[in-house]
Amino acid sequence: MAGEPTTRDRLASRFGRLSRVDSSLVSLCLASVIVVLVAGFVQIRYGDFAMTWGKAWAAVSDPNVLFSVQAWKGFLLGGELPELSHQSLIVWDMRIPRVIVAVFVGMNLAVSGAIFQAVTRNELASPFILGVSSGAGLAILFTLVVIPGVTIVVPLLVAELQVSTSMLLPVFAAVGGVLAFVIVYAIAWKNGTSPVRLVLAGVIVSTVFGSLQRAMFFFADDLGVVQSAIAWITGSLTGTDWEQVRMVLPWSVIALALAVLSARQLNVLLLGERTASSLGMRVERVRFALSGVAVLAAAASIAVAGIVGFVGLIVPHMVRNIVGSDYRKLIVGCLFVGPALMVAADVGARLALSVQIPVGIVTGLVGGPYFLYLMRKQESMGEI
Amino acid sequence: MTDENTPQTDGGSQVFQPPGTDADIPSAAIDEDDQPADPAAGAAAEFVGEDIVAGYPTSAEPVIDGATIRLPPGEVTALVGPNGSGKSTLLAGLADQLDIDAGTVLLDGEDIHALEATELARKLGLLSQENVAPNSLAVEELVAHGRYPHRGFFESLSPADRAAIDEAIETAGVEHLRDREVGNLSGGQAQLVWIAMVLAQDTDVLLLDEPTTFLDMHHQLEVMEIVERLRDDGDVTVGIVLHDIEQAARYADHVVVLDDGGIYDRGPPEAVITAAMLAEVFGVEARVTATDDGPRVTPLRAVHDGE
Repeated sequence: MAGEPTTRDRLASRFGRLSRVDSSLVSLCLASVIVVLVAGFVQIRYGDFAMTWGKAWAAVSDPNVLFSVQAWKGFLLGGELPELSHQSLIVWDMRIPRVIVAVFVGMNLAVSGAIFQAVTRNELASPFILGVSSGAGLAILFTLVVIPGVTIVVPLLVAELQVSTSMLLPVFAAVGGVLAFVIVYAIAWKNGTSPVRLVLAGVIVSTVFGSLQRAMFFFADDLGVVQSAIAWITGSLTGTDWEQVRMVLPWSVIALALAVLSARQLNVLLLGERTASSLGMRVERVRFALSGVAVLAAAASIAVAGIVGFVGLIVPHMVRNIVGSDYRKLIVGCLFVGPALMVAADVGARLALSVQIPVGIVTGLVGGPYFLYLMRKQESMGEI
Repeated sequence: MTDENTPQTDGGSQVFQPPGTDADIPSAAIDEDDQPADPAAGAAAEFVGEDIVAGYPTSAEPVIDGATIRLPPGEVTALVGPNGSGKSTLLAGLADQLDIDAGTVLLDGEDIHALEATELARKLGLLSQENVAPNSLAVEELVAHGRYPHRGFFESLSPADRAAIDEAIETAGVEHLRDREVGNLSGGQAQLVWIAMVLAQDTDVLLLDEPTTFLDMHHQLEVMEIVERLRDDGDVTVGIVLHDIEQAARYADHVVVLDDGGIYDRGPPEAVITAAMLAEVFGVEARVTATDDGPRVTPLRAVHDGE
């Protein structure tokens, strides 16, 4: 055995390891930010309304928007916008919110997938596989097809709050996602759950809900509803504006903050049920609560973008390959890489062809092969 | 199994309850012959399981049917028994990792089922047989997970946590592995690291489920040396399931023999490990020789049923 290392050696090596690990996380995050900025700016410059780089930049940095309280109020709270130039209006009212929505969708899906992978201790888990997406998708279709355009008036003390069904979409999506996940959980429960049973139950519930979704098409009144329903199921950011930002923002903040705070619980869950339990964790309770956070994140993104596939599966993998399986770093990595993938994919979805295609098609086309590559490269796949 | 003929090696302390009986024997069941704990072991806890009945939902018959076991404070008690005798089940039941169907488990006189999960985990540690961890996890971080029950939801590692981690790493002798990744360790090294993790939990009672099984000789000895260190310190009450009877003889203060879900015999190694016990419980004809390291067992041949 080697001689006892001195405290100093140990400290040095510990700091050495820390800085090495952190540097990989930091460079990953930096690279992701660059991707988001470049892809976002491409997204802002190009489109039906042509702009030069200079004009696009001028619109982005328009002081009438950047420093206008009224404009930000309009964006974030949904009031009147101030008078703006044509370019600024297109950039700020149409193109930038789409990028922002893509950022949040990427964060939510990546973090949701990362949590599900820890909860089931299975690298192949994602919001997709555990039935959450299909439940939320079904709820959205139900809302679109069965109760379109109903306005609910909630009387408050001072004024009446007008709530349209579209504003409640995230709520419905979340309810649908939670419902599907509860069903999956109930099916998988047999004196406690097991990762394998959870995944199998998820596959079955997804299949059934998928059938119900397709059945719903036949109750749609017109082609427009069917088309928008298909966009929902494939996952699309077409037509997103600040309303979607307002929808996704609060739920995302809650879910993502909880995810970051739960990193240590996730790490302990990775040690397996028995160890976690003998360390004093009430495993079933924690597993259920964390699943709730993941469902919330997934539902928030589904509500604004529909069911975008592969992001929740791929991003945690990419990050794990670079920073390791420590969830304190993994979650942070997902918060950066998720948006990078989504924003870049959405550029392809919007600009690559003469027609806009749903972004879910692009993530599927990119994600599938990448996943296959991972599968070939890694010796074993499955358990984390 | 002919329990009527069970040798009374231990002054009437032997308890073997046939299934179904519910005799009130707790006081008699407790091993009387242990010495009072030495003063240094004042902090160690007494750990008693009374009339434990435990099993799995998949089988109708309980695996453990009315076992009473007492771990004297600050000492090492070994559980031995043939395959399927219920050693691991008893340990899991005692550690509240398996819901027991009947009986009570007392830690320093307190019913452990009345304790919060984290509170219990601060007093009672259990190392299971099969342990998994992500390959990229650093040894030091795995050991740090042992501090889980001591930390609040938002708390980071306190100086006390760090001290406990350092001490556990030192006691387990894995200082040289500290910065390695768990995935790159050998089975024996990994076991030492897992022991360091439960040591970092800093509990009054420590239960180890077959910590030496599947290890090479070197690492078996490393593990047992950790147990010896704990015994010498006397701060922790250790219950350890062992496959190897000679290890039990050498390192344990007390040996409890399990047979078919009940306690066959208990007492100091010299009294319990006898040729008669080996023939009856383990089905081997063996020669038992007294040595300085406790009784030595030389198995001669297997005893077949009906002989």
